[in-house]
Amino acid sequence: MNPKIRFMNVSKSFSLYSKQSEKLFDIISLKKDRDHFFALRNISFEVNEGEAIGLIGLNGSGKSTLSNLLAQVIPPSLGKVEINGETSLIAISVGLNNSLTGLENIKLKCLMHGLSSAEINKIKSAIIDFADIGKFINQPVKNYSSGMKSRLGFAISIHTNPDILIIDEALSVGDQTFYKKCLDKINEFKSQGKTIIFVSHSLSQIEAFCERVMWIHFGQIKMFDEAKKVISEYKKFINWFNSLSESQKKKSRNEMLEDQYKEVSNGQAQLVKSKRGNSNLGFVLQILILILIVISSATYMF
Amino acid sequence: MNFVRQILKEQISHLNLIFRLSLYEEKGKYAMHYLGALWQILNPFIQIGVYWLIFGLGIRKGSPVEGTPFFLWLIIGLVPWLYISRTITQASNSVYAKVNLVSKMNFPVSVLPTIIIVGNSISFIPMIILTLGIVLGYGIFSGIYLLQLLYYLVSLYVFLFAMTLLLSTITTIIRDIQIIIQSIVRLMMYFLPIVWNVHNFPELLVSMLKLNPLFYIIEGFRHSLLGGEWFFEDIPYTIYFWSITILILTIGSYIHLKFRDRFVDYL
Repeated sequence: MNPKIRFMNVSKSFSLYSKQSEKLFDIISLKKDRDHFFALRNISFEVNEGEAIGLIGLNGSGKSTLSNLLAQVIPPSLGKVEINGETSLIAISVGLNNSLTGLENIKLKCLMHGLSSAEINKIKSAIIDFADIGKFINQPVKNYSSGMKSRLGFAISIHTNPDILIIDEALSVGDQTFYKKCLDKINEFKSQGKTIIFVSHSLSQIEAFCERVMWIHFGQIKMFDEAKKVISEYKKFINWFNSLSESQKKKSRNEMLEDQYKEVSNGQAQLVKSKRGNSNLGFVLQILILILIVISSATYMF
Repeated sequence: MNFVRQILKEQISHLNLIFRLSLYEEKGKYAMHYLGALWQILNPFIQIGVYWLIFGLGIRKGSPVEGTPFFLWLIIGLVPWLYISRTITQASNSVYAKVNLVSKMNFPVSVLPTIIIVGNSISFIPMIILTLGIVLGYGIFSGIYLLQLLYYLVSLYVFLFAMTLLLSTITTIIRDIQIIIQSIVRLMMYFLPIVWNVHNFPELLVSMLKLNPLFYIIEGFRHSLLGGEWFFEDIPYTIYFWSITILILTIGSYIHLKFRDRFVDYL
């Protein structure tokens, strides 16, 4: 069977700029040395159809970066990401337009997903029903509470019929009844053979419907196995970490982070650079010819 | 050409999306106003009135331009210009303004400026037809020259597409450019044959002003509505216009495709 998602040695680095102007230099790549921070390093895994995968890890371990990579919001710095199907990312602050009303946001989002007016009218009521916002649906989104926003975002994303659903801590703001509703919907998705990636800090939620769990630890996969196994290991780790004194915690955290910066010196940053900027000759030639025509016709005008 | 082809393919395959989204945005633009869509027509008329007062009655004392009443001469240049200036400033900001909204989904960023171009046309095309009506009302009919209007409209759209694709990409990366564009657009009006007849100027100056591709379009609208000259009568200028447009389009496509993946990183 063809896997739905395949990551091959994927790394994602972020350049660290201390000044705005450094950013500009980096774009036109004048200066070569730059501090990099590897949010993810050498991630490889496969996800099959109909699987529900949980993603856990401490703050700053790279969960959101990974879910952004999955949703193809950001490209990887190194390695290859293969995704077969439409993805939909649900995060707390999904792109809702604050000045538009809830209803207008539904329409806009659906339009952007390429649905026709007839299709939008068909699913509109389903979305409103699911989001359960009441009369606020005709109010601008800026007046919504955080729970309302995330409910609306979730409702829209789930009704645009994606093959792969990525939920980035979006359920943590909803109450128990909404959570139950989402769970039913997610289970319905699963039974249709769709793939779900679930990012959360709530281990009980993950345990409830994920078969496999990936534990990301400071940019690397620490474990990727059956849910029960990983969660018990993760709990052990959390307990151990919590038992440390404040200064020890800080120390071990810094050691880990140091590691993420260190990798740069091992030539990975060089690789990131060399991936870019091999300008092709044909393009340059074409530009030159065009400039020549422009100049010669301009001189003829005088 | 590969870059250009890819960008054009994206536009064509998302044509439906472009039209629906631009219609939706235009509808929403004046939703909070009591006069609603009426502003689409009222707004340009107020501006035309202001320029007519200052330049027509004030500076020119109402004298005609080369036999054409000044008001007529003015609106033929000013109506396209109001559309061009509005579209360039808005479209060059379109990617920056929308990239947050679209980055969480698979959405072709290159259609964002096109949506503005199409959206603004919803009020521009009726304005052009209205202008044509006014010209006819004055008893001036350019006859067969009117066919050129189509050619110049196409030229206008191709140029706007190329320009806004390039500008929208650059302004996303370097925000300062957006402010510069606003100033340049405001200033450029006085370097185009819109409020005054540049043909009274020295020849060398006119040739220099002609280097601006928009000069070609504004003059073209006059030639089509008032008659007098075919676009193929000035071959070097036509070649100049199209080669510089294609040059902008090529560079714009290349830069856009190169940086599009990293737009989110540069915000």
